Amino acid sequence: MDVDRRRFLNLAGLGATGAAALLAGCGNETNKGEGPIAGEKSQESATGSIESDVNDVNVLNSALDLEHEAVAAYSQALKVLRGANLRYARTVLNQERAHVTVLEHAIRGLGARPNQSRGTYNFPRLTTEDAVLRFATGLENKVVANYIDAIPRLDAAELRGTIATIFANEAEHLALLNGALKERSAPSAFVTGEAQA
Amino acid sequence: MDERLIITDGDVDTATVAAYERSRRELVRRGLLAAGTLLTASSVPILLGVRDAFAQADDDQSLVRAAIELEQVAAEAYQRLQGPLGGVARLFRNHERQHEQALTLALRQMGGSPPSANVQARLASLPTGDRRAAARFAIELEQTAVRAYEDAARKLRDASLMKTTSTILGAEAQHLVVLRQIAGQDPVPAAFERGS
Repeated sequence: MDVDRRRFLNLAGLGATGAAALLAGCGNETNKGEGPIAGEKSQESATGSIESDVNDVNVLNSALDLEHEAVAAYSQALKVLRGANLRYARTVLNQERAHVTVLEHAIRGLGARPNQSRGTYNFPRLTTEDAVLRFATGLENKVVANYIDAIPRLDAAELRGTIATIFANEAEHLALLNGALKERSAPSAFVTGEAQA
Repeated sequence: MDERLIITDGDVDTATVAAYERSRRELVRRGLLAAGTLLTASSVPILLGVRDAFAQADDDQSLVRAAIELEQVAAEAYQRLQGPLGGVARLFRNHERQHEQALTLALRQMGGSPPSANVQARLASLPTGDRRAAARFAIELEQTAVRAYEDAARKLRDASLMKTTSTILGAEAQHLVVLRQIAGQDPVPAAFERGS
């Protein structure tokens, strides 16, 4: 069974709505270019396929680490935020948790073990809403930049599609935060994860 | 629920109407018609045309050409939506033009030439309506873009192009947040933005 077929079947075995979302955007294609894209291994041999799986697991676990951090950060933010900001933070927290779930399933689908949350994070002690929102903005920018880097490094087309749906959601979180900070919600034509102006 | 196709500007061929009919239920499901937005026969086919162009593209040059055409359509649409959407339309028009420029540069570097779609004529009868109705149309346009760029993430082979289109995807998603707020909708309704 080829790697993509195996991946698809593993992913198809997922439960929960996150898995549905994962599958809904999936094709069943691999990178079919004449050569491997940056940082990737050829899929022409079994060894190459295994290496590609390992590569994808590493990329996904890197994304998962940041999603765990985001969950922890927004959990802390709930203690400070009020009103509409609190409502949005609850929504974003649930969405970050959904990302964690899907990434964990994807990693398990590749036969690997997903990274666990570190449990404790050394976040700065933030006491004002403005400070919390700015800290969250910095974290979302880091997450966005990581996903932009991750997409071309993933071998499996369906995983790239899934990560793109998560990335787009993170960009939306940034827009929400910008608005909460009374700044332009969509300030730039290109969302890079660098501080937007 | 009124699911009728309302043709206001004539001159629509049978294939176009048939194409619309095939997608009508999808549009109704997404609430576009149910929400009362008046879709003219010129605006619906152009959205379907953009979507179809992406669906048919299977190499990097074809994908980038389809993306350029999408951006041309989007820029022209926002140009025409300045009345109801004001500064938001001008900002997003400028963004779409920057996307078109970046994609055109990438296409030329691949040895390709950009499409010269006559989007002005194709959007001649774009409905504007009030601010919320205009926002709903723009949401449909941006959702088409989001779906297209996520499709591109799966299909593209060149890593640099993937990064470029990803940064554009992020901007289109942020446009959606603003437009949904104008339309009175949940700005971030799902953990996975799939343009639907």
